[in-house]
Amino acid sequence: MENILITLPVFLSFVILFVPSKGRYYTTLFISLGIVLITSVPAVNVIFSKGVLPEIFHIATGLGSVTLSIDGLSAFFILVTNFTAITGLLYSKGYLEPYRSLKSPAQLSIHNFSYTWLHLSMLGVLMLRDGIPFLIAWELMAVSSFMLILFEAEKRATLKTAVNYLIQMHIGLVLLVIAFLLCEADTGSMSFDALKFYFSHHSNIGLFLLFFAGFAIKAGFIPFHTWLPEAHPAAPSHVSGVMSGVMIKMGIYGIVRVMTNVQSDLVTIGLIVLAVSAISGILGVMMAIVQHDLKKLLAYHSIENIGIIGIGIGLGAIGLGIHNPLLALLGFSGGLLHVLNHSLFKSLLFFSAGSVYQACHTRNIEQLGGVIHKMPVTAGLFLTGSLAICGLPPLNGFISEILIYLGLFQGLSTGTVYQSIYMLMAIISLALIGGLAIYCFTKAFGVVFLGVPRSETHTATSEVNTGMLFPQFLAGTLMFLIGMFPLLFLQPLARILVFLFQINMDLSWITIIRSISLVGKMGFFLIGLTFLLFLTRYWVLKTRNIRQGPTWGCGYTTGTARQQYTGTSFADAVAGLAEPILKTQKEDRPISEEEIFPAERSFATHPADVFRLGLNRLVDFLMLILKKLARLQTGNIQHYILYAFIFMILIFVLLYLKIL
Amino acid sequence: MIALLLAIITALFFPGIIIRVKSLVSGRKGPGIFQPWKNIFVLLRKSSVFSTTTSFIFQIAPVIYLASLVCALILLPVPGIPSRFGFGADFVLLAYLLALGKFFFIIGALDTGSSFEGMGANREALYSMLAEPAFFILFGTLALLTGHLSMQSIFEQFHLSGYNSMIGGIIAVYVLIQIAMIENSRMPVDDPKTHLELTMIHEVMILDHSGFDLALIQIGTNLKFALYGILIANILIPVTWALPYRIALFFGIQTAFAASIGLMESFRARKKMMKNPQFIVTLSSIALVGFILSLLMMYQLIR
Amino acid sequence: MNVLLVILFAITLIYLSITERFRTYATLIGMQGLLLFALSFLELETITLGTLLFVAIETLVFKVIVVPFLLLRIIRKTGIERVHEKALPGFYSILFVSGGLLLSIIVSFSMNTTPVNMIYFIVSFFAVYTGLFMIISHKKIFAHLIGFLVIENAVLLLSLAIGSQIPMLINMGILLDIFVSVLILGIFVMRLKQHTHELTMLKDE
Repeated sequence: MENILITLPVFLSFVILFVPSKGRYYTTLFISLGIVLITSVPAVNVIFSKGVLPEIFHIATGLGSVTLSIDGLSAFFILVTNFTAITGLLYSKGYLEPYRSLKSPAQLSIHNFSYTWLHLSMLGVLMLRDGIPFLIAWELMAVSSFMLILFEAEKRATLKTAVNYLIQMHIGLVLLVIAFLLCEADTGSMSFDALKFYFSHHSNIGLFLLFFAGFAIKAGFIPFHTWLPEAHPAAPSHVSGVMSGVMIKMGIYGIVRVMTNVQSDLVTIGLIVLAVSAISGILGVMMAIVQHDLKKLLAYHSIENIGIIGIGIGLGAIGLGIHNPLLALLGFSGGLLHVLNHSLFKSLLFFSAGSVYQACHTRNIEQLGGVIHKMPVTAGLFLTGSLAICGLPPLNGFISEILIYLGLFQGLSTGTVYQSIYMLMAIISLALIGGLAIYCFTKAFGVVFLGVPRSETHTATSEVNTGMLFPQFLAGTLMFLIGMFPLLFLQPLARILVFLFQINMDLSWITIIRSISLVGKMGFFLIGLTFLLFLTRYWVLKTRNIRQGPTWGCGYTTGTARQQYTGTSFADAVAGLAEPILKTQKEDRPISEEEIFPAERSFATHPADVFRLGLNRLVDFLMLILKKLARLQTGNIQHYILYAFIFMILIFVLLYLKIL
Repeated sequence: MIALLLAIITALFFPGIIIRVKSLVSGRKGPGIFQPWKNIFVLLRKSSVFSTTTSFIFQIAPVIYLASLVCALILLPVPGIPSRFGFGADFVLLAYLLALGKFFFIIGALDTGSSFEGMGANREALYSMLAEPAFFILFGTLALLTGHLSMQSIFEQFHLSGYNSMIGGIIAVYVLIQIAMIENSRMPVDDPKTHLELTMIHEVMILDHSGFDLALIQIGTNLKFALYGILIANILIPVTWALPYRIALFFGIQTAFAASIGLMESFRARKKMMKNPQFIVTLSSIALVGFILSLLMMYQLIR
Repeated sequence: MNVLLVILFAITLIYLSITERFRTYATLIGMQGLLLFALSFLELETITLGTLLFVAIETLVFKVIVVPFLLLRIIRKTGIERVHEKALPGFYSILFVSGGLLLSIIVSFSMNTTPVNMIYFIVSFFAVYTGLFMIISHKKIFAHLIGFLVIENAVLLLSLAIGSQIPMLINMGILLDIFVSVLILGIFVMRLKQHTHELTMLKDE
């Protein structure tokens, strides 16, 4: 019975390719809802079962039996994935509407098919434990997201970005394959459970770092992140939302899964993860500040939030290593709750950005402005997403951040001197990340939505249709729910973690529960007080004589839209301070001394990613070497026969000398 | 609740004392102590002008600013009387509530589409971002010294006994005063009396607010001062004293705080705008020195 | 009390790294001398009274009076007032100095000294780091001189910390002091008469 239920969506998805364009969307929706139902029911069962027992299914395929197992961690990630995949699909109906006339039906069918397979492969990654099926699902995830990014393949830049993405994913795959092979060479099996055996009598750090590198390319830790800021803007918005919201979390899932099997050196591993994450967080948000492409800005923020998640996970690992159960639980629950929170608010932000793109046909914030007047609902949703991503109460971002802060402050007082020092450095990083995020999102929201439009051609005309707004409202409601009833989501997560890592929890967790519930109550209070004050103000202002007038312009009567603060000016304060890291490319021609009557000049600045530039230099160097080797490719068939002949002589010589 | 009441009482005379001290030092008699609040009551009765460029953000920004401040005040303990909402690491919630107020303040300023407000918003965001680590290092120091995490327990345990904790207390009070000056955009970071928009930070962000909204913002600013005053009083007042002495010392500290702000503003010039980030990071360094001290004390490495 | 003075020493170092005017450098060196003078009284209780008086008075005379006087004289004669053309903007200086503070904590803790001297070790290493950083990050030779004086103060602070056990070390520190003051500053002040303009243009580009 389960056999059929699980393989059915896999086969049904091929139907999408053959359905006429009218029914295509509803077929996809139906199949996706089916997938969601089939996977969420056992996931919920697992989470709320006593002892969080895993459920295991054996599927007999033609090539042998495949085992799908859902334990607490997988169940959590399955629920997160399903929610964002469904909201993405709901959003795509309205978003792909203008493309119906531009793209052929085949292209759109392939797009929906790839979307379903992205969803399926992500679920596969979460449920498969054996090495080879896991890697197959991982590869399918990369390929299907590649197909999705290539939606606008007629643009050369998109094609280049997608190929770059595919290559980098394969580098990650190679690292994972090597790691799994190392495990198999020792234990004979390529599954995650065999890692436990491997780690018990080998040094843990080496193999863990190999796995970490492979998963970090997917997750987007610095310096493995270079594909992220290019792939997310190139993809259509619903795909960006899903990729940023859940696909990069598969990397986090992999890291935590490997961590459940690690047995020694946990403190060192935790420290390495903590350091990499803190650097990712700070550098990610600093690079986000100077961007003027809205989706690239959001992509860099994904890197920052992965950094925050990593800080939580590193903290948890340190807690496990020093046998402090409270620290471990706080760290892991903060990190994993942030996984859920980030998927919600990042997908919300990408969907709103997509709505803006659809209405204004540009992603360049320097050409936008004043969008709030025509699209107030989208503006409100983007504002909610911004507040959440900055970690401000009463929304959900704050809950996960305060959990991590609680853990860090606990670790400050209980431990060695060195531990206090690096806990303090983590606290400073987290505080800086929060401040920089506020800086960046006031810029993004202010420049895009507020003020007056900065260019006449890129103005919004009206709000997007309700179909696109509905999934954003879903995400927003869930965000408020988590912010005001945090315990509803924290308690099951804590139970999952307790059983996953075998943490012996003691009574100090009760104080944490009390703290978090008070945070939720404070959220209520804040919203209630705001409401009250606003009503008072409304009642007072009704009796007054309200006038409208132009913005005060210090005596200037003809203000133009160009007098507003641009995004680059707003970001300039931080960009000036962080000059060595943010290599901003300036395009200008300086005026030489001989030019007495200077000709017209233009000036442009472009943000550049230091790591991408380094990668470019490495690739150029490789190309230099390869060009030299390419001289062997003459195109002349006689030369190729000569090569084969030389090779044969070489073999004979080596055999004669008994080397081979 | 008590903190809120005390803050309101403090805020009533705080700005008046600052202005009075500044006037007396420069040889004038100066306005009455309650003049700023009389101004606020006049503003409350006025009608408003709204800019055509603004949207609903402009309408809700002052409200959320004030609401977040009031919530932050509810969270604060007062020497000897705990807050009903206190919990472990509640100073994180305090900092982030203030940040929420700042976020809406900044986007309320950007809503007007004027370049002046953009300038002020940009600087305000930068300075508050740089001041955050100092705040957290400070509370990390106090948490490390006392071994507790909720503000109420920290302040209860923090005794100014012995030279070392006194040094810690001095550093903490100094850093808090400077953070208060930065957050409220006072000297040496910003001059509240300057009329040059290009050099304003806080004042320029409220150029387009009028009437009721401006009154709300000014009430908020005064309450913010009182918030930092309560924090300083928490550090300095020992909880073992009797209640009437504590109350007297509390108001004495607030008056001294206001007077010292007035004196600092009269005798200090404003720093160059470019040097401000450097100045704010220096605060973090000084807080770090305090942290080293508490680290050494914690591990019993100095007496 | 000792701890307070050492903490104030650390704060003067932080202020030294961000200040702009040469006069402030001279005042800060003088203040550091004063702190060391007070510390020498409070720390070195176990050595003979004669040596103690010698140390204290030497510190007072040289560090608090002579060196700042000579520095102010150089400033007046060459007319250099501001720290132009730093190789590193002020913001990065304070970041590096804070990093140096963390580094000195880590280095001191990994040395496992007796608890009493930990704060002295931390601040001495921090002072050496700050002095070296000043030499690296400035272009004017006057700033290099200040950096060297800071390093010398650090050496004296360290010798005060362990001076109760090894009195000879303090004497060597004092001799270094006198050597520096006489040789370097004397040469500076003497040479100034002929090469006044060279001092301000030294290492400028």
